[in-house]
Amino acid sequence: MTDRIVDASLVKGFGLDEPTTDVIQGTLDMLILKTLSLEPMHGFGIARRIEQISKGVFKVNPGSLLTAFQRLERAGYLDSEWHQTENGRRAKFYTLTRPGRKQLDIETADWARRVSAVTRLLKADG
Amino acid sequence: MSLWRQLSRGLRVLARRSESDADLDDEVRHFYEETEKSYAARGISPAEARRLARIEIGDATVIRERVRDYGWENLVGTIWADLRLATRMLRKTPVFTAVVVLVISLGSGAVTTVFSAMNSLLLRPVPGVADHGQLAALQPIRSDGVLLQQGSYREYAYLRERSRTLAEIAAWGKVALTIAGKGEGATIWGNLVSGNYFDVLGAHPSLGRFFLADEDRTPLAAPVIVVSYAFWRSHLAGDPSVVGRSVLVNGNPFTLIGVAGKDFHGTYTGIRADAWVPLMMQPLLRPRANLDASSWLWMFGRMNDGITTAAAQKELGALVSSRAEAEGEPRGPAGFRSMAVFPFSGLPGGEGVVIFRLIAVLLGTATLVLIIAGVNVGAMLAARSATRGRELAVRAALGAGRTRLLRQLLTEILLLFTLGAAGGFAFAVLATAALEQLPVPANIPLQLELSPDARVMTFCLGTSLLAGLVFGLWPALRVVRTDITARMRDGAQTGGSGRNLIGRTLIIGQLALSLTLLVAAGLFVRALQRGQQMDPGFTMSRVLTTTFEAESWGYDESRSRAFYGSLRDRVAAMPHVAAVSYTSRLPLTGGSSTEDIEFDGKTINVQRSSVDTSYFAALQIPLLQGRAFLVSDNAHSQRVAIVNQSLARRLGLEGAVLGRTITFLGKPTTIVGIVRDTKYATLGESTPPFAYLPLSQVWQPTQTLVVRSNDDSEWLGPAIQQVVIALDPALPRPKMSSMSEATSIVLLPQRAAAIVTGALGLIGLVLATMGLYGTMAYSVQRRTREIGIRVALGAQRATVLSMVVREGMLLTGMAIVVGVFLAGIASQLIEGFLFNVSPLDAATYVGMSFAFLFVAFVASYLPARRAALSDPLLALRAE
Repeated sequence: MTDRIVDASLVKGFGLDEPTTDVIQGTLDMLILKTLSLEPMHGFGIARRIEQISKGVFKVNPGSLLTAFQRLERAGYLDSEWHQTENGRRAKFYTLTRPGRKQLDIETADWARRVSAVTRLLKADG
Repeated sequence: MSLWRQLSRGLRVLARRSESDADLDDEVRHFYEETEKSYAARGISPAEARRLARIEIGDATVIRERVRDYGWENLVGTIWADLRLATRMLRKTPVFTAVVVLVISLGSGAVTTVFSAMNSLLLRPVPGVADHGQLAALQPIRSDGVLLQQGSYREYAYLRERSRTLAEIAAWGKVALTIAGKGEGATIWGNLVSGNYFDVLGAHPSLGRFFLADEDRTPLAAPVIVVSYAFWRSHLAGDPSVVGRSVLVNGNPFTLIGVAGKDFHGTYTGIRADAWVPLMMQPLLRPRANLDASSWLWMFGRMNDGITTAAAQKELGALVSSRAEAEGEPRGPAGFRSMAVFPFSGLPGGEGVVIFRLIAVLLGTATLVLIIAGVNVGAMLAARSATRGRELAVRAALGAGRTRLLRQLLTEILLLFTLGAAGGFAFAVLATAALEQLPVPANIPLQLELSPDARVMTFCLGTSLLAGLVFGLWPALRVVRTDITARMRDGAQTGGSGRNLIGRTLIIGQLALSLTLLVAAGLFVRALQRGQQMDPGFTMSRVLTTTFEAESWGYDESRSRAFYGSLRDRVAAMPHVAAVSYTSRLPLTGGSSTEDIEFDGKTINVQRSSVDTSYFAALQIPLLQGRAFLVSDNAHSQRVAIVNQSLARRLGLEGAVLGRTITFLGKPTTIVGIVRDTKYATLGESTPPFAYLPLSQVWQPTQTLVVRSNDDSEWLGPAIQQVVIALDPALPRPKMSSMSEATSIVLLPQRAAAIVTGALGLIGLVLATMGLYGTMAYSVQRRTREIGIRVALGAQRATVLSMVVREGMLLTGMAIVVGVFLAGIASQLIEGFLFNVSPLDAATYVGMSFAFLFVAFVASYLPARRAALSDPLLALRAE
């Protein structure tokens, strides 16, 4: 029974020292849209891409991700279709729609505005 | 686009639930597989990799549930699932469910019944009327401030011509009509109406047409008649070809031009009209009414756009006043100087207020019953959720969220209350049908339409669900809020002293409220008794009466006189008949006729009736001074009057007014007698000045026969009917009623209130007793162990018995204190209906309290006895 104790670093992400965090609230949609703007992708692929590009800082919970897909699809930003993956497995691939692309632009601009505002605030004191 | 997507995708999911679930599972599995692979790629054993992936991703079911929670369609699904589960839970405890539904039905039924009456009497617009919001009822106000219902034709014509605030004004008066078309004739109430009557109402005929303006312009020019749909069906065989044909109306040929809309019965709630004829036919159908001067017309009008009743009232008041000035009308107290304008309804302004007050009291009372029922159900639900703690704890442990659990409980509660509402609605349907059957005097075509409609149904469901939320929510919240793990540990020992306190407070509240209701019912019963025993000033027993509408038979004055005379003589000749007379208005039937008289430069407004000789003998009203009317008082002799004591005093001269002359109906009239004061219109009235005139001098075509006999012979009624038929076989058979039946309407409010509050009070008592019994039984059950130990240690059964009973009696005692206090406050509201029975009538309070104490004793004795008889060994083993 004792050998069941697991190295915590193995459990979390890819065992890097950097601690992982949940995606910043409200940005998950934007991150999904951004990821899909490059190419259509299946759910796990999107999760992995977000983790890799953020160098493991953001860890996406599958529950949140799948719920977000539902939401974005209902909003008309995504379309989905079942395809074969490169490993020959059937998976649901998500595609960005035209309204989705527009939404991504809006959210990106909004995000940039907020980041610069926060940055200014943080600098103001120092 | 997105709304469409929401809808279509949601529907797709709903339609193919398992398929979309499988898709979702597949996506989640994809995550597992890929995560496992990435661990395996780092050289971890497959079994360990699977375990790590499972830890990292989390439980598949949880993820699936979370994703499925998104989207409206899942709400539909969960509500449906909740409902199914709720139904299953309720079916598992059929007795509990039945009792709860029954209790809610009683409470909801009580409120719904009263609301149904309120809806049809006060809220529902007059059936068959269009845009009733623009209609206004016009009622003259006398100089002395008395609000009347009717005005004269002269006023009507004046206002109709000049008003700018009202586009049109219509008028109508009552008339008794005997209509003979196909088969036997029937006497019904009809309306003499202005030509624009139906147009102002915006009513539509179901057959034929209504009146043309021309048909109400010249007196007697257009003998046309419109009948009600119901009359057409019942008396004209529903034959469409009768339209355009001739029917006999009071013996005169009239052309039937139309049939009114299906539910149209005139504009006076409770008194149905079945035929309409133009006002200009009045000289033929109601020849005695003075069309011009006497006040017999109800008036209503359609307001122009943007006009308020206040603006109309101002304008009409000024018009009425200027007319009176211009025509030089005397400024007596009975003169009109202003006009009241009310929003149009089936109830005239003054009456609406009285009925509104009565119904408000009843509605408040019924609400108390609903509250008692709700509190009871709340207590039952709380007791049950205590026993269900374990089940809920297991479900929480299996991953049901708190909101989900709460929603589940709420679904159950609302389902219970919806079933209760259905029961309540059924209750109301039956109860209103029973109320419509309350006895009313035969000569008034009273027809109350109390049955519930869609609005009542909505109200019923709404109040039930609201009660469900108010009284069902707190037990549910309590269960969900309590620490679930604590509950798992000891499911049996739930609830501490806190719940007990709340439970007890609720029981006291219920008992107190039902005592309040019973006291109110008791007071109404006392008032009814007092009313029945109240001395009206004349003798009711052994008096038979019936009312004749001679005009409606097409009789003129001389023919009527001959008829009334020979009927009187023949009845007087019958054995055991002590006295026979007629009166133009039977006392205690609710109405009155008033007139201004002049004496010594004073104007006094008096009530009057015309009576035949021997009227005072027939009703045994003592003659104090002077003489009764004689046969020699006739149309050619000096006008005479007999006054009551109050009028004698009002005339002055210390009441010594015998032989003095007053001006009555414009003629010098000698006072020949003084009789004792009696009750006239109602039992609660303060005695008005009253004058009797001989029928021979002031003729009235409508007369009520009053026959006093020496014994309670039952053959007298049929014998009188036979005489009437023998005198004229064409006449409808008169309805005979005893004096107390004929006057029963004056006690109708008290009788109705006693029945309703009594019924409500009994329901309340049953509910509260059930609550007390339940609480005591529950408390005994929870103390089984304690009682067992006591008995095992040698406590006497009597000690145990008294211990439990004492607890119940303590609660009851506190409830009585609170209930008596509440009743003391509430009874002030009904003081006006009580005929001087004190709202703090000691006998009622003490009597009801003792009755209450007894019932409460039984309710706590039964569980106590069970506790005392229980086997201590069994009790101890039960844990």
